[in-house]
Parts: sequence; structure tokens; C-alpha cells
Amino acid sequence: MPTDTPPSQPGESLDPVFVHARREAFLILGLFALCFLWAIPVCWFSGYLGAGEEATSISTILGVPSWTFWGIAMPWIAVDIFTVWFCFFYMKNDDLGETADADTLDGAPGAGEARDA
Amino acid sequence: MHDPGTAAFPLPLLAQANGDDGSNAALVAFGLYVLGVLFIAWLSSRMQKKRGFLSEYFLGSRSLGVWAFALTFAATASSGGSFMGFPSKVYTHGWILALWIGSYMVVPIFVMGLMSKRLNQVARKTGAITIPDVLRDRFDCAKFGALSILLIVFFMSVNLVAQFKAGSIILQTLLADVPIFRSTVDGVAGAVGGIWFVRDVDPGYLTCLAVFAAVVVVYTTYGGFRAVVWTDVLQGFVMVLGIAILLPLALWKVGGLENATQSLARMTPPLLVELELATETARGQDLVIPKGTWLELVDPADGSRRIFRTKRRATIESGKTTATLRNAGKADTENIPAIEITVAEQIAEIQVKPLDARLTVSVLNARDYEYGGGRRGVYVTGPGPAADEDRGFLPLSLAVSFFFMWAFSGAGQPSYMVRMMAFKSSNTLRKAIFTVSIYYSLIYFPIVIIFCCARVFLPGWEIDSDRIMPEVAKTLTAAAGWPWLAGLLVAAPFAAVMSTMDSFLLMISSALVRDVYQRHINPGVSEKNLRRLTYVATLTVGVGAMLGALNPPAYLQDIIVYTGSGLAACFLAPVFAALYWPRANATGAFAGMAGGFICHLSLYAGGFWMYQGFRPIRLFNFDPILPGLVASAVLTVVVTLRTAPPPEAQVRKFFYR
Repeated sequence: MPTDTPPSQPGESLDPVFVHARREAFLILGLFALCFLWAIPVCWFSGYLGAGEEATSISTILGVPSWTFWGIAMPWIAVDIFTVWFCFFYMKNDDLGETADADTLDGAPGAGEARDA
Repeated sequence: MHDPGTAAFPLPLLAQANGDDGSNAALVAFGLYVLGVLFIAWLSSRMQKKRGFLSEYFLGSRSLGVWAFALTFAATASSGGSFMGFPSKVYTHGWILALWIGSYMVVPIFVMGLMSKRLNQVARKTGAITIPDVLRDRFDCAKFGALSILLIVFFMSVNLVAQFKAGSIILQTLLADVPIFRSTVDGVAGAVGGIWFVRDVDPGYLTCLAVFAAVVVVYTTYGGFRAVVWTDVLQGFVMVLGIAILLPLALWKVGGLENATQSLARMTPPLLVELELATETARGQDLVIPKGTWLELVDPADGSRRIFRTKRRATIESGKTTATLRNAGKADTENIPAIEITVAEQIAEIQVKPLDARLTVSVLNARDYEYGGGRRGVYVTGPGPAADEDRGFLPLSLAVSFFFMWAFSGAGQPSYMVRMMAFKSSNTLRKAIFTVSIYYSLIYFPIVIIFCCARVFLPGWEIDSDRIMPEVAKTLTAAAGWPWLAGLLVAAPFAAVMSTMDSFLLMISSALVRDVYQRHINPGVSEKNLRRLTYVATLTVGVGAMLGALNPPAYLQDIIVYTGSGLAACFLAPVFAALYWPRANATGAFAGMAGGFICHLSLYAGGFWMYQGFRPIRLFNFDPILPGLVASAVLTVVVTLRTAPPPEAQVRKFFYR
């Protein structure tokens, strides 16, 4: 995407939350693409019957049809592992800032951080 | 021989046919769940008094912790479809549903990780409470905010009516065999017979609608966002507990997953038949043949058996000998729809109680499934059997569409976006993404396993596959010697529908109160009046949706799919651009939103005209969400680049520090 970002002023730089979030977003899009490019072809080529075909028995792994095991179950586990890495080792713990005092009709200025729900 | 004057059918056959075990477990479960959510609403309303009203009522004061954020997201995403519709499809079409739901492997990280952090930050910068707030403030454009309000109110209202109907049907399905419910329905039927706008409504549906709507509207109105979130947490635990109980029981019942899968491989789909059911002589009073009655035909020549199960309730009226089907609004018919079991193993195992000798069964016509009829292996492979589609349940193009749909549709839903504005820190987000990933892994794939197994130990439920979930719960818990546990398990579908409906209700009322009234009509409104107005708006929208659901449109599920995919087609690209593209401007975002809406709607409108039903045109056999998303994204980029860049001050505010 062309950014046409205005030149930064002295002491000003791209918001790090924006930079980190954008990088994380593109990595997630890449993950989606990878899952798509794996799951659909594997399931299609190894799990779909041709015209008029029958399958009176099916190869399985742990009781799951092989095409489902390799096409869906294994990538699902892999994505869970990736998610652990992404959440706890890659994603930045950015400060999201204070809430602006836009809704003055709420009384107290800025809801801010409150205790857990 | 039966005395014509005595009661009708042999009782054992009736009991076997309608599965009535006299249990009130489902009713007790529903009652306890209702008490729970009302208590939560009361607790939540007390918190409103301590904090700023609007941000507390609509956003929980941006204070959601890990469990609340994770489970409110997961529960809102899991509607009644997850616990009624999805199991129904697994039972009907087999293992291919693993591919149908496959992109749920990335849904948590995709939907929660793609935009949450930036959306939360941008909302804080402006103090935004709603999505239209965010869009209007990001681009400093009231017109754009107004368009987003219109679209939210339009889609959410239509969806809310559909959800009210879906919830009522689910409740009606789950309570159908409960004696107290049946007598209540009889009472309601008598009471409303003279009221013109409800007298033609099915009394069972009306009862469930009134109860369901009353509970949801009351706790949402009274409790606001926090009540919605806490009930989601409650629902989240109910759902995962339910699956954790059902999975080992199902595997034990079928003797292991390998056994179940190989049994499925040998199965062929049932035949779709029409039967004539008759007695030799006329009876003195009506004889009811309930829906789900098992029937048997034995060939005297070789003793071979044919097993059928009726799909509709039929009646042999007094003085007549042939059963008829009463069709609302159409002529009665003597063709009773049923299925015929085709699996040799099941034919050998199913024991049908001996019939009254005078009831004869004749097969008028029979047809195979359009795809998979007579073929073995269709339940363990793609595209999966389908009664009315010759391309099967999930041809490749639809598999691709659904893989995109779950992830992109989820990311583009305003009801999820508003939750992304409510968590309290990045740390909360990281832990919540991980929690939801594990949560979905514990729910969705196990559902495929459980309901594939159900095809083995509960044959014949193609007649009403939406009931398979409560039937499985009842069968497995009874087999394990814990029949009372079924009550807990059937609470999951109630909870799932409620958690989706309350979110939509709150989205609409926030759009009306905050985005329309406070922003445009009376910015100086006092907090006291705002509070009163919010309660009135939420209550009014809820009651309006309930009245709309009294005579709801047909094509219920299709409407729900339309609104969900339509919202994504409108919102995803413009919101993504707003958060990540400094060059994005109001004109481009407006074009993307409007373009996505028009493209998506055109495919449905065109389909309605071509097929005379609620069925979209599928370009290259892809679901309309794909062309809608593409159109929205292309328009957002092209129009943005061909119009003036945004003001520098705006870009600095949101992209620089």
C-alpha cells in the first residue's frame, strides 16, 4: 500500500504501536494464507471422491480419516503452537494509552483502567 | 383387535416413537440458566451506578480482563449454530464438516490479532465507545459515521429478528417432550385464540418466543455490556464442559473412533420416501402417528426387512382409514414423508415394536440423495452426501468460500470489533488470543468427532437433524447412568443463542442512543436522561424484534448468513484501511463501505429474482462474501488514491507519536 506518509517533524516518529500492530497483522495474514494453501489442496487431493467412486474403507490415523488428520487436525495443532509463540514471544506488549475525555457526559473524565470484569 | 372406541396406538410403539421419557431435565436446566443470567444482570446494574454510564453500559469501561475478553469473544462468535446447526450438519454430511469448519484453526488469532491492538488504541485516542464513533473520529467525517450507523442498524435488526426466531425454535425443539411445557402450550393456545395478531402463530413457538425474548431483553436492558460479557463467560464454561462430557461418552458408546469411522465408511445415505399408512377399518377417534415413528415392512417371501422413519406427524382421523398430513396453508395430503434406512447393519439392529395388525405401510415413491445416494464412503470423504444438491454438500468452490468466510467475516463484524475496544491492555489481548485458540480447539474438532459417532449409535435422525444435539446428550448420559446430566448439556444451545442475541441488541441500541441521538440530535443531554433513554431504546428494540419474529420471514438461516457476510463485506476493508494506512481518507473508506454493501446486496437481489427464493448468485460458485470483500477493498484503495490525501494533522494524530 502506498503510504504517502507526511514527513516527520523534529522529535516525531511513527507510533510504535502502529508499527508493531501492522507487522503483526501482516504476519497473521501470512499465516492465514499458509493454512489455506495447505488445508484446501491436501483435503481436495486426498479426501474427495471422484465421479462415481466409492470408498468402502478409509485409511485412518487415530480413528480420524487420513485426509482430515493431515489436512485439518495437524495444521490445527501447528497453528496452536504458532499462536503460543506469537502471543508470548513475538507480539509486543504495547502501551495502548489513556482514554481521551471525549464523552464528558459520562461524568468522570476518561474511563481509564479499571479492575477486571 | 382394538375396540374402536378405545385409545389409539399400542403405548409401547408411541413411547418408542416419540422418545418421551417424561424428563423435565431440559426445563430445569433452562430455568437455572435464566436465574443465573438475571442475577448477573442485577450485579452488573449495580456497577453502572459507580462509573460513567455510557462507557460502562456499552463498553464495560474498557476494563475487560483475560477471561472476560476471551470468553465474551468466543461465546459471541458461537451462536445457536455452533450447538444445534453445526452438529446437525456433521450428523447429516459426515467428516467433510472438518473442512467446512477448518478455518476456525486460525479464527482466534486472525479475528482477535489482526486489528484489536490498533482498534483499541485508536478508540482510546478519541474516547470512542462505538464503531461509528471510531470511524467518524478517525476520518473526522460525520457522513461516514452516519453510513456506518445505518448499515449496523439495518443488518443487526434483520439478524436480530432471525436470531429471535432461531432461539425460539431451539427452545421449542429442546422442550418438545417436556410434559409441563406441553401443558403450558395448551394453555397459551387457549388464551391467545382471540387475539388477532397471534392467533395464527403456533402456540409452542409463541410461548418459547415470549419467554426467550423476555429473558434476553430484560437482562440486556438492565445489565448492559457487562451483563452481556459475564453471561458470555458463563456460557463459555457451559459449552466446554458439555463437550468435555460428551466426547469420551460418545467414543465409549461406539467402541472407539476407528470403529466409528469404518462404520461410517460402509454407510449409504437413506432413501427419501413417501408412504401411505392405513388401517383396515375406520376408528372411532383420531389416531396420531407422531413424527419420528419407526415402521417396518417385512417381505413374506424371504423375510427381508425394510425400516422407515416418519418425518412429519400424521393423523388417521376418526371415520377414516388413511393417514393424512396437515399442511398449514396447503391441501392435506396422504403422502407421508419418511426416510428408509439403507445400511444393512442398522437394519439388522433396529428393533421396531410390533405394529397394530391393521396398520399397513405402502411405499408410494422413493428417491436417492442427489449426491451420494447408494454410494459407500460418502460420509468419510468430500464433498459429502446431499439430498438436494448434485454437487454434494461441500464442492471445492464452497470449501474455499467457507475457509475465507469464517476468518474474514469474523474480523469484519462490528459486534466483535466493539469487544476489541473493551479489553484493558496488550497483555490481556495476548493471553486472550491464546485462551480462545485453545478453547476453539477443545470445542469444534471434538464436535465433529461426537456427531460422526452419533451416526453410528443414533440412526434415523435425518428426519430432524436439528434435534441431534439434545438427543445425543440424552442418550449418552442415560447410557452412562447419569440422565440428570442431560439437563446441563442442553443448556449450551440456550446459552449460545442468548449470547449472540444480547450482543446484537446492544449494538443497535448503542447506535441509536450514542451515535444518532447524543451525537446529532441532543449533544447536551443529561446523564440521567441518557440512562433512561438507553433503557427505553434497548427495551424497544428488543420488543420490536420479538414482534417481528411473530411472523418472521422464511429462509431464516439464509438471512443470518446474508447479514453476517454483508457486515464483513461493508466494514472489514474500510476499518483495516483506517487503522493501518495513513493515506486512507474518508472518501475512499466511504466508497469501500458502500461498494461492499451494493456488491453483496446485488448478488442476493439478483439471486432472488433468478431463483425466486432467498438464494444468491454465486459468481464462479463462490459465496457472495468473496466478491463483496474484493469490491470493498478495491474501491477503498482506488477511490482513496484518486482523491485528496487526508489532512496532515489527522495522520499525525493517529500514526505518529
